[in-house]
Amino acid sequence: MELNITSVNDLEQCAKTMLDYCKDKRVFAFYGEMGAGKTTLIKELCKALQVTDQVNSPTFSIINEYQTADDMVVYHFDFYRIKNEEEAVNIGCMDYFYSGSYCFIEWAEKIHNLLPSDSVKAEIHFINEERIVRITS
Amino acid sequence: MNKDIYILGIESSCDDTAAAVLKNGYVLSNSIANQSIHKLYGGVIPEAASRAHMQNIIPVVENAMSIAGISKKELAAVAFTRGPGLLGSLLVGSSFAKAFSMGLGVPIIAVNHMQAHVLAHFIRDDTKKGVPTFPFLCLTVSGGHTQIVLVSDFFEMKVVGETTDDAAGEAFDKIAKTMGVPYPGGPLVDKFALAGDPNRFVFTHPKVAGFDYSFSGLKTAVLYLVRDGVQANSDFVQDNINDICASAQYTIVEILLAKLKLAAAHYKINTIAVAGGVSANSLLRKRLLTDGEKLGWNVFIPDFGYCTDNAAMIAMTGYLKFLNSDFAAQDSAAKARLSIGN
Repeated sequence: MELNITSVNDLEQCAKTMLDYCKDKRVFAFYGEMGAGKTTLIKELCKALQVTDQVNSPTFSIINEYQTADDMVVYHFDFYRIKNEEEAVNIGCMDYFYSGSYCFIEWAEKIHNLLPSDSVKAEIHFINEERIVRITS
Repeated sequence: MNKDIYILGIESSCDDTAAAVLKNGYVLSNSIANQSIHKLYGGVIPEAASRAHMQNIIPVVENAMSIAGISKKELAAVAFTRGPGLLGSLLVGSSFAKAFSMGLGVPIIAVNHMQAHVLAHFIRDDTKKGVPTFPFLCLTVSGGHTQIVLVSDFFEMKVVGETTDDAAGEAFDKIAKTMGVPYPGGPLVDKFALAGDPNRFVFTHPKVAGFDYSFSGLKTAVLYLVRDGVQANSDFVQDNINDICASAQYTIVEILLAKLKLAAAHYKINTIAVAGGVSANSLLRKRLLTDGEKLGWNVFIPDFGYCTDNAAMIAMTGYLKFLNSDFAAQDSAAKARLSIGN
C-alpha cells in the first residue's frame, strides 16, 4: 500500500489508515533518510493509539516507553547510534519485539536480522516536496 | 552530628557507567568507565565500551573508591540511578548497588536521573559563588533532553516545558551529520561557528505552544539548505561550513533562550540554572550571561564534568536524600519511564 503525504494535515489520516491496514500487526520498522519524517509519523501513530506521554526522538535514549489512555504500553526505538546487532540484543530489544505491545522502530536497517518475520515495513520517500509512505507486511 | 558522611553514587542510565564518592557533599572522586580504567584494573577491555555496564561497573567503582582514598566500610550509603533510562542499563547499576549495600550493611538510595542533573548545582565547592536559591528555573539541555524545570525545593520539581521532537543536543549532532561531520558532532559545530557569520543564513523559529520546544524543523531546514546548495555547487559545504554552523547554532540558542525568557517572566523568577551536556556550548554560555545580565538574572552554570551524565550528581542527590533519611527498599525497581516529580 502507498500513502501520499503532501502536508502535515494528511498525517492524521495516514496514521489511522496505517493502523487500520495493519490491524493485527504490532512491530513496525521504519526506513527513510534523516529528515524524512520518521519521528513525525510515529508521533501521529502514537496519537492515534491515544498515547498520553510526550512523544519525542529516542536517538539518544534508544528506547522510549509511552503509556496510552487505556494503560497500554507503546515502545519507540531508534537504532541510529547502534554499532552492531549484538548491542541491540544486549539492550534486550528482542524482549520488546515479542512483548505483544506496539513497537515503532526507527533506523530498522541497523538491526535487520533481529526483526520478527511478521514486522510491517514502512518506507518513507521524499520526492518533489511530497512524502510517500510505502507499507508492506 | 559530627561524623563525616561518605556516599557512593552509581550512574548507568544510558551509555556511560560512572561512580563517584562524595564526603559531606564535596566530590572526592568522579569516575567514568573508559579504556584506561580497564587497563588499571587488568580487566577485560570491552570492544565497545559504551553500554557495557556489566564489564564496567566493578572497575569503575574500584577506581572511584581508590581515588577517594576511603575504605568501603566508611560508606554511609550507596545511591544509584533508578530511572529514567534504558531498562537493561539501569538494572546493572541498581542490582550492583543493592548487592554492594547489602554486603556492607548500609542503606541504598534511589535517585531520579533528571532530578540529579538539577541537583548537581548543589555539589559543594568552596571556589564557587554559591548555589541557586529556590525557586529557580533549570534549563536541562543534552543529547537526549531539553527541559525547562521549575524547581521549588530540592525534591519539588516540575517540567514546565520540553521538546516535542528532537533534543537540542541532537539537533547539533544531526546538523553536523548533514555536513558530513561524524556523529556526535555537536562540539565541532561550536568550533566551526566561531569563524562563521551567524546571520548569513536565516532559519525560521518553530511555532510551539507554551514553553515547549521543537528542533526537528531546524534540522530539516539545514538539510534542505545543504541539499539545494550542493546541487548548485559541489563544494557548498566546504565553502560555507563555518557560516552554516554559526547560523544554525545562533538559531538553536535563540530558540532555547526565547522560551526560557518567557518562562522566567511568567513565573517571575530570576534565578536561572543550566544543566546537561549542551551547557558546554560557548554561545549558550555567553548568551546566558549577557542576556541574563540585562534581565537581572542570577545565572548558574556548573562545571562541565557535572553537566554531562556523571555519578557525582547521583551521589549529591543521594547525600540530600540521606539527610532526609529517604532510603529505598531492596525491592525498589529500576524504571525506564520516570517523571521528574517522582
